[in-house]
Amino acid sequence: MDDKILNVAFAGNPNCGKTTLFNAFTGAKLKVANWPGVTVEKKEGTAHYHDYTYKMVDLPGIYSMTSYTMEEKLSREYILEDEVDVIVDVADASSLERNLYLTIQLIELGKPVVMALNMMDIVAERGMEIDMHRLPEMLGIPIVPVSARKRTGLSVLLHAIAHHKDKPMDRVEHHHSKGMHIHSHHDEYAMVYSDEIEDIIDLISARLMEKFPDMKNYRWHSIKFLENDKDIIEKYSIDTSDIIKKNYESDIINQRYDFIHEIVKEVLVNKEEKSVLTDTIDSVLTHRIWAIPSFLFIMAVVFFLTFTVGDFLKGYFELGLDFVSNAVRTGLDYMHIGNVMTSLIVDGIISGVGGILTFLPNIFILFLALAFLEDSGYMSRVAYVMDGIMRKIGLSGRAFIPMLLGFGCSVPAVMASRALEDKEDRIKTILVTPYMSCSARLPIYVLMSQLFFGNKAMIAAYSMYVIGAVIAVLTEFIISKIYKTDPKENNLLIELPEYKTPNARTIAIYVWDKVKDYLSKAGTTIFVASIILWFLLNFGMDGMTGDMSTSFAAAIGKKAEILLRPAGLGHWQIVVALISGIAAKEVVVSSMSVLFGVGNIASAEGMSLLSQQLTALGFGAINAYSMMLFCLLYIPCAATIAVIKRETGSWKYTLISIIMQVGTAWVVSTLFYQIARLFV
Amino acid sequence: MNLSEGRVGNTYKVTGIDLPEKITRRLQMLGMTNGTDILILNRKYSGAIIIKIRGTRFALGKAFSEGIMVKEDRAK
Repeated sequence: MDDKILNVAFAGNPNCGKTTLFNAFTGAKLKVANWPGVTVEKKEGTAHYHDYTYKMVDLPGIYSMTSYTMEEKLSREYILEDEVDVIVDVADASSLERNLYLTIQLIELGKPVVMALNMMDIVAERGMEIDMHRLPEMLGIPIVPVSARKRTGLSVLLHAIAHHKDKPMDRVEHHHSKGMHIHSHHDEYAMVYSDEIEDIIDLISARLMEKFPDMKNYRWHSIKFLENDKDIIEKYSIDTSDIIKKNYESDIINQRYDFIHEIVKEVLVNKEEKSVLTDTIDSVLTHRIWAIPSFLFIMAVVFFLTFTVGDFLKGYFELGLDFVSNAVRTGLDYMHIGNVMTSLIVDGIISGVGGILTFLPNIFILFLALAFLEDSGYMSRVAYVMDGIMRKIGLSGRAFIPMLLGFGCSVPAVMASRALEDKEDRIKTILVTPYMSCSARLPIYVLMSQLFFGNKAMIAAYSMYVIGAVIAVLTEFIISKIYKTDPKENNLLIELPEYKTPNARTIAIYVWDKVKDYLSKAGTTIFVASIILWFLLNFGMDGMTGDMSTSFAAAIGKKAEILLRPAGLGHWQIVVALISGIAAKEVVVSSMSVLFGVGNIASAEGMSLLSQQLTALGFGAINAYSMMLFCLLYIPCAATIAVIKRETGSWKYTLISIIMQVGTAWVVSTLFYQIARLFV
Repeated sequence: MNLSEGRVGNTYKVTGIDLPEKITRRLQMLGMTNGTDILILNRKYSGAIIIKIRGTRFALGKAFSEGIMVKEDRAK
């Protein structure tokens, strides 16, 4: 079993089916990590065929090999410097023309390339044919037709990789000689540029050879000099000012596309572009009037599934959790385990970590729905449909999805920000998503408004949803004014892939990966946070205390109440309730009942008792509304903080998010309280 | 004329791109080189459009489509 190891890198355009193909080889056993230093996912997996072990890496989907984006830089550095034996270029046969652009650049990197020509079935459906004899001849690389969805051609591809590992190029059969004077070595290259460019490539190569004798691929590096590629020019400083008089990037792109056009003209038989299905679906889903209602309808379905169905399942999870914690408590009592230990395990760990598990149904369903939208091709349309509206507050159209989901629960909403392709957009969206009032805050509104607003209770509670959304939009608007972007620099540009039936395997792997990620990464943070909160609420100067009023949290509350006095919330019980709300927002209500010694807070007597106590403190209707505002806006729960950390990958943004939210909460509730006081 | 003035359902030929260098390069790399056919598939009130170029659909914002110079393709 001492297999020979082959390192294979999968490269390809976005939407070419690369990940589906990759998953077809590796199954669910893929390892997802980030590329060092950046939040771009790196997927790794292995496959076996005959006596080879294939170590596969799925590079991010890219359109070209320049250094404009992080994904492009990563891909090319990985291919150039790492131990990549063979590059698998996954190309979408149904849009061969655009996919070949990357192919040409991959070939230029000088490593063995095997093309996996995907979606041949779609090509056949459209009545088109690709000349599989001529195409490899013109490119000089082996080409294997595959179908990632139907899982055909997979072993043939593995076989081709093994066979091709030591051969950078097959002989290229050029159609005709390109230039006026033939360069002796041009038979080795698929892509031959104009005489002017080829002459300069030769000159720079000679100069590089002199100064960097160990360099691997002189031709590729020389081309990069002609393209004025900053990274390469910085890395290999040679003087080229006497050779390169202008930026040839545009010429190079044009000449590559001319060559591609030549290829496509020769190999694509029956070039017919009917994609009736996509056009029919788009005639509704991107219709100038129907697009938005259709989008809202689809989002309503997603919302319903995630929260109505999800919460229904969540109820059972919570019942199960109660059962487990009671059983454990009884068990621990039976074993005469001390109170401190029992409390730590049951009140701290089980309720904290269990709290994470209860979110699972929501997260599972949400990601199922999102994966479905993504894989079907609809997600890109969302960017187009919502672009005009969201662009006004400086966000891309897709930011609408996490913000809407925020009304259900901030945890999946923050995670849904992954649908945004731009990192800056993602962070901007994550920062405001917690302002959208999640369902856990509702019990607080209900309690407060029922206590103080009588028959206007409904309006008071609903106003929170509107205020949250307005503040989110306002915040984005302010951010977009501070960090102004030129519309000529930052504007909508996105590929709209053909619609297709989502692939069950791709979706299953995607969802499993997200759920696993949530459990492991967010779980550890919440675990620590719940132990800290448990300690603060259950311990005081004299050790463990059953009375929350003598706990550390109460001590903090008594110190901190002065800070909240301007907002009309200067009572230590309120402060402690707010602190406990960091564990989960709905805990504010149960903490209030404990702190004010009210048994059943939802009952009529419980409410009147609480009302009496609050009134005795001088806590009236405007204090109550101020508290609702504060609860709406202040730090999201521990679970949300954990996923913010997870998704931004940075403590800095996590802290900014916390400070910004507590700040907003304080300012808004103080403003409200001080102004309202003048009128009441 | 620029692409944003084009009519839905018509095909145009690219004659030049007048946008920041980085954007111009990106568009070219996606296949929008001079002489390429662009079919306008759809347009929104906000000015964003959907185009088809070299067999692929793209959504383009107004600011971008205004910077893409085209001429009417009389062949169609």
